[in-house]
Amino acid sequence: MQSLNQAGHKPTSGANHWEEPMSKLHRFLCAGAACLMAAPAIAEDSILVGHLVDYTGPTSFVGKQYGPGVSDTIKYINANGGIDGTMIELETVDYAYKVPEAIRLYKGWKSDGMVMMHGWGTADTEALISFVAKDEIPVFSASYSAHLTDPTGKAPTTQKPAPYNYFYGPSYSDACRALVQWAAEDAKAKGNEEPVFVHTGDNHPYPNAPKEACAEYAAEIGLKVAHPVVVPLAPGDFKAQCLTIKETGADYVYMGNLGGSVVSLLKSCATVGVEAIYMGNPWAGDYLAIEAAEAEGVVFPSSTPFYGQEVPGMALVQEIVAQGEGIGEDKPTHHYIRGICAAYYMKEAMEWAKANGGITGENIKQGMYAKQDWVPEGMEGVCLPSTWTAEDHRGQMTVAINQGSFADGDVVIERIAETTLPRRDDWLGR
Amino acid sequence: MNFELLFQLLINGLIVGMLYGVVAMCFVLIYKSTQVVNFAQGEFVVLGAWVCWASVMYMGLPFIPAFLFSLAFMTLFGILVQVVVLRPLIGEPVISVIMATIGLSIFMQALMNWVFGNNAERFPNVFGEGTVSIAGLNVETAYLVSLVLSVIVMAVFFWFFKKSRWGLAMRATAFNQQIAQSLGISVRQVFALAWAISALVSGIAGIVLGLVNAVSNSLAFIGIKVFPAVIVGGLDSIVGGVVGGIIIGVLENLAEFVDGQYLQVGNLFKVAPFYVLIVILMIRPYGLFGTKDIERV
Amino acid sequence: MAHLPYPRPAGDFRVTYESDMTVFKTVAAHRWAIALAVIALALPQFADDAILSQMIMIGIFSIAALGLNVLVGYTGQISLGHAAFFGFGAFASAWLFSVTALPVLITIPLAGVMTTAVGMIFGIPAARLKGLYLAIATLASQFILEDFFARADWFTGGPYGALAETPSFFGILLDTDSTYFYLVLFWLVVSYLAVANLVRTRDGRAFIAVRDHYLSAEIMGINLTRYRVLSFGISSFFAGIGGALYGHYLGFVTGEAFNILLSIQFLAIIIIGGLGSITGPILGTVFILLLPQAMEFLAGGLAQVFPGIGHGVAYIKEMSIGAAIMLFLIFEPDGLIHRWRLMRASWKLFPFSH
Repeated sequence: MQSLNQAGHKPTSGANHWEEPMSKLHRFLCAGAACLMAAPAIAEDSILVGHLVDYTGPTSFVGKQYGPGVSDTIKYINANGGIDGTMIELETVDYAYKVPEAIRLYKGWKSDGMVMMHGWGTADTEALISFVAKDEIPVFSASYSAHLTDPTGKAPTTQKPAPYNYFYGPSYSDACRALVQWAAEDAKAKGNEEPVFVHTGDNHPYPNAPKEACAEYAAEIGLKVAHPVVVPLAPGDFKAQCLTIKETGADYVYMGNLGGSVVSLLKSCATVGVEAIYMGNPWAGDYLAIEAAEAEGVVFPSSTPFYGQEVPGMALVQEIVAQGEGIGEDKPTHHYIRGICAAYYMKEAMEWAKANGGITGENIKQGMYAKQDWVPEGMEGVCLPSTWTAEDHRGQMTVAINQGSFADGDVVIERIAETTLPRRDDWLGR
Repeated sequence: MNFELLFQLLINGLIVGMLYGVVAMCFVLIYKSTQVVNFAQGEFVVLGAWVCWASVMYMGLPFIPAFLFSLAFMTLFGILVQVVVLRPLIGEPVISVIMATIGLSIFMQALMNWVFGNNAERFPNVFGEGTVSIAGLNVETAYLVSLVLSVIVMAVFFWFFKKSRWGLAMRATAFNQQIAQSLGISVRQVFALAWAISALVSGIAGIVLGLVNAVSNSLAFIGIKVFPAVIVGGLDSIVGGVVGGIIIGVLENLAEFVDGQYLQVGNLFKVAPFYVLIVILMIRPYGLFGTKDIERV
Repeated sequence: MAHLPYPRPAGDFRVTYESDMTVFKTVAAHRWAIALAVIALALPQFADDAILSQMIMIGIFSIAALGLNVLVGYTGQISLGHAAFFGFGAFASAWLFSVTALPVLITIPLAGVMTTAVGMIFGIPAARLKGLYLAIATLASQFILEDFFARADWFTGGPYGALAETPSFFGILLDTDSTYFYLVLFWLVVSYLAVANLVRTRDGRAFIAVRDHYLSAEIMGINLTRYRVLSFGISSFFAGIGGALYGHYLGFVTGEAFNILLSIQFLAIIIIGGLGSITGPILGTVFILLLPQAMEFLAGGLAQVFPGIGHGVAYIKEMSIGAAIMLFLIFEPDGLIHRWRLMRASWKLFPFSH
């Protein structure tokens, strides 16, 4: 039985998503056979990292990009010596964006001795804030909710301090603020005296995250803010919603959803004839979505270069894609590259921790604060300089703004602006 | 009050409602002739869309042959479902039959996600990118084509039930299975036929929806929308299904109007039909056109 | 089910009505039940957390499924909205704690009571509707409650969800699987005793009469409306208890968890376990919760041979649930409990099983 368990728990990386419960079932069958024994300890000199991915749920459109970004990178790290010799045992589980499933998995990993976790969505990451704080398990999430950026709870609006939550890139709110700022300038350049801004998205933690903060800033810099319009996260026929958007007279439409929903919204609104510029959140815009919607002039933020762009670190990115499973035949989107960055920051924080008393959650947390304007080694030009401090988890305040259009069967994306927002205290945690 | 917006929303509701009506009609057809409530109707819609999409994209068929192929496929599929899943359950209590179709819908949904993927996939443009303006509202050409198609389907239905031999057999079976059987009607064949027709027409609706919105598993939402529609119209009335569908389509858009203009609660268009459903069930459970069920002991 | 032989040991003659109405049919059954309870009590000493968390989930879902069985199996009503009541119980308990700061062990039954009230309100249509129409009405209540969960910020925390406090028992925090297990076990035993006894009472017989032929029942003087709504109330009570236990176990409650799929799972549990049986819901829960894991295991093995299967594991798990529902309805409509009784009967009567 012991050996079976070992087979289920591959000590090296690349554990596929069915292997984790398989070992649980082994244990269960084992119990049935009355050979009650403790679960095997994790193999010598390896650490357990949980990895939540959504390959089959409502956010799988980008989940299938970011998830492999993380797991391919960790596979590459392990193949090249791990964390100074310590292997990362990554358990990747497709939880289909179900919050209770995420909590259940988290608890299981915790009792198996997980030292840190790569999370996914806003709903589950925010649900787990107090758990990971209590258990001292750092989480690198793919949720960029600003609610995760206040580690001490000093901001008056913060409901739950999030001392162990990190993410790579600008928060949803900051990305939206940068877009709004760009919109204000764009409107001024076009001579539009009173541009109207509207937020669209489902009534769900992820699209809701920047809703109020961004509207507040838009009003502050002189945009007229219309009532937000609720658009479901599942794709569908959104002509009714588009008519409402049209009625608000919006010039700048923020899209809080992603994937199929964004595609449907762009198509339905094009049919109804909404004349506005669409601005996506960090997950809404990539060449796949623009291609599917055959959209024109979609504005979206990014925090890495696109695949194949000529920057020093791109060779390493290509190496990771080549050695990993990648995302099939298509070229990876920038979401995949963000996954690489998240994994690399984790790696260097773990290296710091190992050199300073061992890889534990608390030491990894300290490792996150060890450097300023931090770029992981080998990722120059790919991962942008980030700074986390014990009082401020807004790693990045710089937002690159892109515009993509579909023309003649191809998507053309160009960078139209780069904004560095001020690190305002009243923006912390919201 | 913004009358222009209201008017456009109502037209939108009418058009979308026609499609609900078509699917509701399929639902009623099965219920009326076989006393089965098909919770997998939405999955039938999605399956039709996927099959057509796959035969265009993978088998390289032009649209019209692909369309016909999907219809043939759906007909066979409907018969298969009836024979394999529902025939063994004849005479079982309501809950068993309901659960069987629910099981079928879970099964089909997962299988289709696996086979066709869980992304939204675009059809190649068949009717062009064109849009048509109706009273100020731009509508995809595909929708209009679908409306024409729906009217044709409804006309064919009407003729089929009023004039054809099979239609008569189906009406007789719906009225009383035992009497129909004693008149030499093969009830088994009638059941299979009802499922075949229902699957076929659902497939048409799915292809139309796929053309307009891209094909994805979320098209199955229409399978839930038919419940308010058929309850409003009356569970055993085919005309009622169509009218109910239109009413629900209009109601949704009305809810969106009230929501967007006054209440600002969001998502009202999604739940409004279900409040109406409960109200209708409480005051007039047999719907607008349904027959009142009188029990004699 | 009624035609199954239920062989009794020699010498066990039932000479009074009372002895025919005992909770446990035989002395042996009584002893078995006590033995199982003792084994369950000792379990946390031996089993590891992975097994215990499975047991806790099985216990929680069994309680809720038992409630549904009162409604569907005993009263013959249909509910496609059980998950919404389950969720309401989870939110109610979390809300009660945050508002009143009562101990969680008290908010759990209170949440059950609140859910009862809500269940009876949504059960009112049952006074007028039956069969299919009732199924559709409960489907509507499922969607209406789901919408309520996403909207009622004051009660549920809106789309973000609500934190659910870890219960403590006289200062002992029940924050580990082995301690929480006892809380679930306690409620499981209480629920089972309650329902087993309910069936023996006047009200329980009224439920069964309503199920078997509602017109005859009415003619015999049973108030249909009262018993139908009462049945919704009782079933919601157990859903609420189960939901509250679920919420406090996970520590966090979000509305999206309590969707129509979960309602369907509850129905699947009682159909697969056996409608109108006390033990059925446990068997059904074990089956439904372990089936996806077994499929995962199987698919994992198959993936070694056919690599393509690896990507479909999540779908295979879902498909297995759908297929199980259909196959049970076609081949074993009386559920696992029926199969178990057949096995027991043939074993007891061996070699004269006919």
